[in-house]
Amino acid sequence: MVLDALRRLTSGPKPVLLLFALLLSSLYMMSAATQNSAIFGRLYSLLLAINIFALLLLLALIGRHLASLISRYRQRAPGSRLTVRLVIMFVILAVTPISVLYYFSLQFLHRGIDSWFDLRVEQALEDALELGRTSLDSRLRELRRQSRLQVESLAQESDATARLRINDMRERSEAVELTLLDLNGRIISSSTIDPSTVLPTMPSSAILQQLRRGLDYAALEPIRDRGLHMRIVMLVPNPDPLGEPRLLHALYVVPERLDNLATSVQAAFTQYKELAFLRKPLKYSFTLTLSLVLLLSLLTAVWAAFFSARRLVAPISDLAEGTRAVAAGDYDMRLPMPGRDELGFLVRSFNEMTRKIARARDEASISQQQAEEQRAYLEAVLSCLSSGVITLDEEATLHTINSAAEQILGLELGPSPELSLAELQQRYPELEPLVETITAQLDHRHGTWQAEVVLFGSNGRQVLICRGSPLRGEGKTQGEHVIVFDDVTALIQAQRDAAWGEVARRLAHEIKNPLTPIQLSAERLRHKYLNTMPSEDAEVLDRATHTIVQQVESMKEMVKAFSDYARPPKLQLEHVDLGRVLNEVLDLYQGDERIAIRLDASHTLPHIDADVGRLRQLLHNLVKNTLEAGEGVSSLQLKVSIHCAEKDSCRFVEMRFEDNGPGFPEPLLGQLFEPYITSKHKGSGLGLAIVKKIVEEHSGMLWAENCKDGGACITLRLPVQNRRTADPAGEYYDDENHSADTTL
Amino acid sequence: MGFTTLALKKPAVTRRRALGHPGCRRLLLLFGLLLALPLQAAEFFITGVHIRPQANVYLLDANVDYRFTEEALEALDNGVPLTLQMNIEIQRKRKWWLDAEVASLQQRYRLQFHPLSHQYLLQNINSGAFYAFQTLSAALDAMGSLHNFPLLDAQLIQEGENYEVLLQAELDIEALPSPLRPLAYITPAWRLNSDWYTWSLMP
Repeated sequence: MVLDALRRLTSGPKPVLLLFALLLSSLYMMSAATQNSAIFGRLYSLLLAINIFALLLLLALIGRHLASLISRYRQRAPGSRLTVRLVIMFVILAVTPISVLYYFSLQFLHRGIDSWFDLRVEQALEDALELGRTSLDSRLRELRRQSRLQVESLAQESDATARLRINDMRERSEAVELTLLDLNGRIISSSTIDPSTVLPTMPSSAILQQLRRGLDYAALEPIRDRGLHMRIVMLVPNPDPLGEPRLLHALYVVPERLDNLATSVQAAFTQYKELAFLRKPLKYSFTLTLSLVLLLSLLTAVWAAFFSARRLVAPISDLAEGTRAVAAGDYDMRLPMPGRDELGFLVRSFNEMTRKIARARDEASISQQQAEEQRAYLEAVLSCLSSGVITLDEEATLHTINSAAEQILGLELGPSPELSLAELQQRYPELEPLVETITAQLDHRHGTWQAEVVLFGSNGRQVLICRGSPLRGEGKTQGEHVIVFDDVTALIQAQRDAAWGEVARRLAHEIKNPLTPIQLSAERLRHKYLNTMPSEDAEVLDRATHTIVQQVESMKEMVKAFSDYARPPKLQLEHVDLGRVLNEVLDLYQGDERIAIRLDASHTLPHIDADVGRLRQLLHNLVKNTLEAGEGVSSLQLKVSIHCAEKDSCRFVEMRFEDNGPGFPEPLLGQLFEPYITSKHKGSGLGLAIVKKIVEEHSGMLWAENCKDGGACITLRLPVQNRRTADPAGEYYDDENHSADTTL
Repeated sequence: MGFTTLALKKPAVTRRRALGHPGCRRLLLLFGLLLALPLQAAEFFITGVHIRPQANVYLLDANVDYRFTEEALEALDNGVPLTLQMNIEIQRKRKWWLDAEVASLQQRYRLQFHPLSHQYLLQNINSGAFYAFQTLSAALDAMGSLHNFPLLDAQLIQEGENYEVLLQAELDIEALPSPLRPLAYITPAWRLNSDWYTWSLMP
C-alpha cells in the first residue's frame, strides 16, 4: 500500500517537474555559493549533497523506466519498439546539443577563470602592499626612535616616578596607550587616550618571551574593530642595578587615511591571493556545478524522453490493442482519448468505428434472430400442414422438407437434408416416379404445374397430386422450386367407391326394380298361353319367355355384380400365405384341357395380411380372364410366378401372370382396369376392374403390359407388413411352400 | 567531594560523533564515507588533559598539538582562513542503554594570515578574543593550550554515576570557502582531526 502510494507519487510528470524545479533552484544557489555568496555559501555542502542525492533519485527513476522498457521490449509488448525508438531519438536529440554546450561552457569557464589572474595585477598588488608596508615601516621606525627616547628617559626613573611620567609621556607622544610592565606582564603604570578603557591592550606571551630574551618588539598589528596599530615593546633598564628590567609597551594608531589605504590594499591582496589559490578548486567547483546542471538537464531530458515517448505511444499501443480486440470480435472496447490532436482524432475515429461495427453486429444479430424466428414459424406452419412440402434449389437439390412430406413419402431426412434428387432416388428407388415427374417439370416448365404421381412403396400404392411452382424472389431463393403434394390415394378410393355406389344404387333403382315385373310377366305369359297355343306358336313363346327370364336373370346377376363391386370393402384380414392360396386356386384348374398352367414360386415367401376370399376371387378372375382372352388359341399356356421382392425399406410379394394369348389391344392398355373395358365377346367387363379393386383394397398395385414375344402380362404387388420382430420360422417363411417350377 | 580521574584513550572509530552540528554535517560525513576514502591518520593530538573541580566548576586543562598538512598551510599562507574547533562532550554512562548526554560544547578558533603585517591572527570565535602572532607556531601554541577552561557546573554531576568527558579537535571544512569544500571532503589532506580523547569522571 505504501509502495503503491509511493509509486503514485513518483509516477507522472508532476513530481519529476517539481524535482526538476527544486534541483534547478538548488543548482542556482550552489552556483551563487561558488561565487562567494554569503547566504548560499553556508548551505553549499548541503546543496551539493541534495543535488547529488536528487540526481541519484532521478537516475534511479530513469533506471526503473529503462528496466521496465527493456522488459516490455523483450516481451514484445505492443508499442514497446516504437517507445524504444522514440526514446533513443529523443535522447540523442537532447544529449547532442547539451554535450556540445557543456564542452564549450567548460572551455569558456576555464579560460574565464584563468583570465581573472594576471601576473601584472598580482605584481601590482604585491607592490602596493609592499609600498604600504614600506610606508608603515618608516612610520614604525620613527615611532621606534621616539620610543627609544622614552625608554632612555624612563631608564633613569624608578617604578614610582615612572608612574608619574607615563601619562605625561603619552600625552606628548601620539601613542593611544603607553604602559610600563614588568617582565611577567604585570602593569606598573598605564596611560590610555580613551578614558573608558580600564585595561590596556596587553602584549601576548610570545612578545613577552621575545623581550625576555632581550629583543625589542616593534610590529604592525591589526587590532579587531580598531584598525591597524603599531605595537612597540622595549626593555626599559632598571636604575636599580639589582632590579629587573621593565618593559615599555606603546600602541600607536596608524593615521586613518594610511590605515584605510593599507587595509584596502591588504584586503584586495588577500582576496586576490585567496582567489588565485582557489583557482583550481574554483574550477573544480564550477565544473562540478556545471556538470550537475548538465546531468540534471540530461537526466531530465532522458526522463522527459521516456515520459513523452510513453505519452506519444500510449494511444498507438491502445490502438494496436483495440485493433487486436476488434479482430478477436470484441467490439465493445473503447479507447481513452489522448487529446485533441491527430492521434486523438484517430482514436476518436477508431471508437466511432467500433461503435458502428458493434451496432451493425447487434442489428445483424437481431435481424438474424428475426429471420430465425420467421423460419421457425414457417417450419412450424409447414410441419402442421397435412400436405407435403419440399423445396428444391437451382441444382435440383432437396432444400427443405416438412414432416408431412416425410410421412407421405416414408422418409427420414430431417428438415434440411441437402440431398440432390438423383441421390434421393438412389437412396429411395420407390420414389422414382415422383423424381422423374419433378425432373421433367423442372426441365420443361417454368410456371406452376400440377401432376398426379403414383408410387408403390412400403406404404403400398399411393396417388399423389403434386403442384410445383418456382419461388419468385431474389438472391438465394431465385431458381428455387416449391413442390406441394397431397396423398390422395384414400380420396380417389373414396371417390371411386362413391361413384360405383351411385352406379349400383341407380342400377338397383333403375334396372333391377323393373326386372322382377318383367320376369314375372314373362312367366305369366308362358304359364297362361303355353298350353293354349298351338305347338308351333307355343314353341316360339316358350323360347321367347325362356330367353326373357334367362336374360332378366343374367341382368340381375350383372346388377348384383355391380352392387358387389361398389360395395365398400369389408375385408376380413388374416395372416395368410399367398403361395398356398395360389396353389389352392390353381389346383382347381388342374386337368382343364383348355389351359396349361405353370407355377414358378419362390422358396421363401412372407405372409401377408389379406382377405383370403377376396384373394381367391382375384386369382379366379385372372385365370378366367386368360381363359376368355385365349379362346381359340391352341395350347394356351399360363405362367404364374410369385416371389418376394425387397428394395430398401419396401417389401412386397410380386405375382406375375404371363400367357401366350393375343395380348392386350394397344388402345385399351391405359384403361384396362376400368369397368366395362374389354376386348372379349364374353364376360361382364368387370373382371379386371374387380382385380384392381381387390389389389387396391390390399394397398397393392398392378399394371398390365404385353410381353415382348406376344401374350399378355399382368403384374401385381401386395405389400408385406413389417413383422420382422416375430419368429421368422412361423411367420416369415412358409416351409411347406417351397415347390419350384411346378407344372399344373 | 572526593573524586577520581582516570585517563583513557580509545580508538577513534569507537567514538566518532558529530556534536552540535547541523544535520547536514552527518549527511556529508556519510557521503564522505560513501566515497570510500582512505581514512586520514589523525593530524591533531590531544595531550595533557586534566579536569579538576574548583569552586563548583570543573576546569579543563588540555593541549592540542595542531599539525597541519602542506595543503592546509599553503591555503593559510594564501589568505584562506582556517576554522578549528574543539568538540567537548560530557556523557553519563548507562549500563543497559546509550549514554546520556549531560552537556556538549564547542570551542572554535579562526586562524588567518595577515600579509601586510606578516602576522597570524587568531580569533576565539566563542569569546571574540583576538590575538596576533608573528609566527605560526606561536599562534598554534596559543590556540592549542586550554588552561582553566570552565567545563561544567558541578551541580550537573551526580554522585555515584559514571561520567565521560570526550574531546576532539578538528578542522571545520564547512567554514572553508565554498569552492574548496567539495575538494576538502574528498581529499584526505583536508580531513584534519584528532582521535576522540576520553576522560573518565567519577565524582
